[in-house]
Amino acid sequence: MQCLEFDALLSQAIDGSLSGEKLGSFEAHGRECRACGELLQEAEAGRSWLKSLGEIAPPPSLVTNILLRTSGVPRRARGNGLSSWLERLQEGAVAIVSPLAAAARQPRFAMSFGMAFFTLSATLSLVGVRLRDLRHLDLRPSAIRRSYYETSGRVVKYYENIRFVYEIESRVRQLKQATTPAEQQLDKQENHKGRENKSDRSGQPKQQEQRNYSQEGDQPVFAFLPDDPPVVPGATYRRLV
Amino acid sequence: MEDTHVAALLVRRCIAGDSAAWEELVERHHRRVYNICYRFAGSASDAEDLTQEVFIKIYRTLASYDVERGAFTTWLTTITRNLLVDHFRKTKQERRTDSLDAIPAEEADATPLSERIPDHAPGPEAKARSRETGEAVHEALQRLSPELRETVILRDLQDMDYRDIATVLKVPEGTVKSRINRGRAELARLLQRTYKQVI
Repeated sequence: MQCLEFDALLSQAIDGSLSGEKLGSFEAHGRECRACGELLQEAEAGRSWLKSLGEIAPPPSLVTNILLRTSGVPRRARGNGLSSWLERLQEGAVAIVSPLAAAARQPRFAMSFGMAFFTLSATLSLVGVRLRDLRHLDLRPSAIRRSYYETSGRVVKYYENIRFVYEIESRVRQLKQATTPAEQQLDKQENHKGRENKSDRSGQPKQQEQRNYSQEGDQPVFAFLPDDPPVVPGATYRRLV
Repeated sequence: MEDTHVAALLVRRCIAGDSAAWEELVERHHRRVYNICYRFAGSASDAEDLTQEVFIKIYRTLASYDVERGAFTTWLTTITRNLLVDHFRKTKQERRTDSLDAIPAEEADATPLSERIPDHAPGPEAKARSRETGEAVHEALQRLSPELRETVILRDLQDMDYRDIATVLKVPEGTVKSRINRGRAELARLLQRTYKQVI
């Protein structure tokens, strides 16, 4: 027997499906050829190690999760009927969501959903968001922490930039005010006063107005002409008459 | 044969919209799928996610299952294997990145598995039954190449015959046998470093 033939029969020999003359020549070659003998020993050992591995029990919630993600029908109660509060909660949620989903699947809603989907996808493509990138979204705790720090860093940087710009603007304004000639400032003040007077529609002097406002409400004002009338502005006089 | 008939009947009922039949199908096969995923992916959380993905895919493509073309378990295993290959490709880059943060090879060699696993039992059979040994074998299994790993999982853990494995992996039977031999031998070599005194 050649080594190639030995290799081809190795798995069958280990599984015990080799017999008769073939098995005899196989064993003889295993004893004669050192490399093939070692390979046989290693393969047998490997098989026994693998067979030592037992079956792993899947998580209890696996079937429920599969059913919820596929048919949407919750798992039926089994055995003693005991189910965890989480499973009961999930079943309750499905009971609420299922009728809504059934209503949403009606044809009259199909066009609305289609339009909404089209609008959303068009908006996303215009904005530049690619759904393909979301597949590579890294949700490991370390990656999330890193994203958080990067985002907060960007926000702080943006805030600092804005503050800097406002500070510069206020400084420039102060500088302008400081360098403006005194005459122009006076003119400005006068203009300001003029605007205030224009806004006064009564045409009365301020003092008079204040006096009138200081009078008590129950005190009547009578029209009279004193013997020695004081010189008053025409407007005030007209009002008194 | 009876199983094939029952599976075919269940599939027909599922396609007809029988939710109880679908639940029965999931109940029957989820352990098998979970174990394949767990032994291949290496972690319980990945296995759980992958098992759910497998059943979602089966739910969507159940109508494409042809009873005449093979057993339902073979079809199910093929879908599982394809998803595992996709998962392996997706996480390849991640594993490369993680390996930069992992313990260097020198340090890993400095504390071999044999030192981490207590050696109390007198013979290999007793050791093989222990939980720690199971973890060591599982760890060694993860070090095999994906081709060898999937083949020995299907043969030695799922007890599939060569023809079905060849169908699932889409390779000739001779290749399956060769991979099984190499996978078993490679695993033994990895574990021999751990249990030199036993083997």
